Amino acid sequence: MGGKKNIGFTITAAILGLMVAIQFRTVSEPVVRDTRDTWELREDLMKEKEIQSELLREIRANEEKLEKYKTEKQQSKENVLRATLDELKTEAGLTDISGPGIKLVLAPAFDGIGPTTEPYLSPDLLRKLINELNMYGATHISVGGERVINTTVIRDINRETKINGRSLNQFPLEINVIADSGETAEKLYNRMKVSKSVEDFFIDNLRVTIHRPAENILVPAYVDSIRVRSMEAVKQGKGEGG
Amino acid sequence: MWLPVMGLIIGVIIGLLTDIRIPEEYSNYLSIAILAALDTLFGGIRAQLQNIYDEKVFVSGFFFNILLAASLAFLGVHLGVDLYLAAVFAFGVRLFQNIAVIRRILLTKWSTNGDK
Repeated sequence: MGGKKNIGFTITAAILGLMVAIQFRTVSEPVVRDTRDTWELREDLMKEKEIQSELLREIRANEEKLEKYKTEKQQSKENVLRATLDELKTEAGLTDISGPGIKLVLAPAFDGIGPTTEPYLSPDLLRKLINELNMYGATHISVGGERVINTTVIRDINRETKINGRSLNQFPLEINVIADSGETAEKLYNRMKVSKSVEDFFIDNLRVTIHRPAENILVPAYVDSIRVRSMEAVKQGKGEGG
Repeated sequence: MWLPVMGLIIGVIIGLLTDIRIPEEYSNYLSIAILAALDTLFGGIRAQLQNIYDEKVFVSGFFFNILLAASLAFLGVHLGVDLYLAAVFAFGVRLFQNIAVIRRILLTKWSTNGDK
């Protein structure tokens, strides 16, 4: 072996040794670094926890804001207006209502016995009945599923009694009446029991059955839109509108 | 004969003293490079014993093998195929073969020496 040959060999051997040493260091490093990693982990954990608390704080702040907005919304004019609108709608009869009340059923007095005459419900009589009901404390009335509102017309068109433009020729006919309270319903029931108009219906070959007051009588909403023609808003300061 | 061993020891000492570290993700490349270097080194020893040693072949083979092994590992990482296994296999087989040849040569040498 010549010296010249050995130099290259030595250099390569040295490089190999260097590489081995570096690799050894790198591979065996984690043992040393592990402890540091623990600290780093702790620090990282701390950092993450800080971030978490920060986020929680943010969430809380946002929730507070949301709550604030909610209360603001509740107290806003819009809400008051909405409530008023709902109230008015209920009053005008545009919503379904259920409550304590009574149920009257109009049915033909004689079913197939004797000479059958078609029962005729006269609008006058119905109007009278409704007036009576109103007088004795009814708040919401429906006749045959038709809501009776302030502008409801009951009239005879071609020998057919119509309410809100719909015929009332299907018997038995249900009249649902809602009163303010159970007590009022009871009173209403008693009043109707002795009512004169019930007897009047009999002349028209109709028998009125009055059911006992129930807790949940349903009165449907008025389905058409209410058209106001000859009314104007009352100007403030004046007693009556034009 | 002692010079290469000295060189190896010096290299190790320098490596340990200088406190050089490479990033963890590159340790794979370094290990494959070490394998290649070992293979080349033993190949060189065998060549010397068989008297067919050529300095140019040895040095160029040393660096070329290291580079090839490292680039194979690199390619393997990027392709998602463990290509470095090819290098490990090739170098490992050659390492064993080289060492076996060296052992036989040394054994023959000693037996001839003993006969004398």
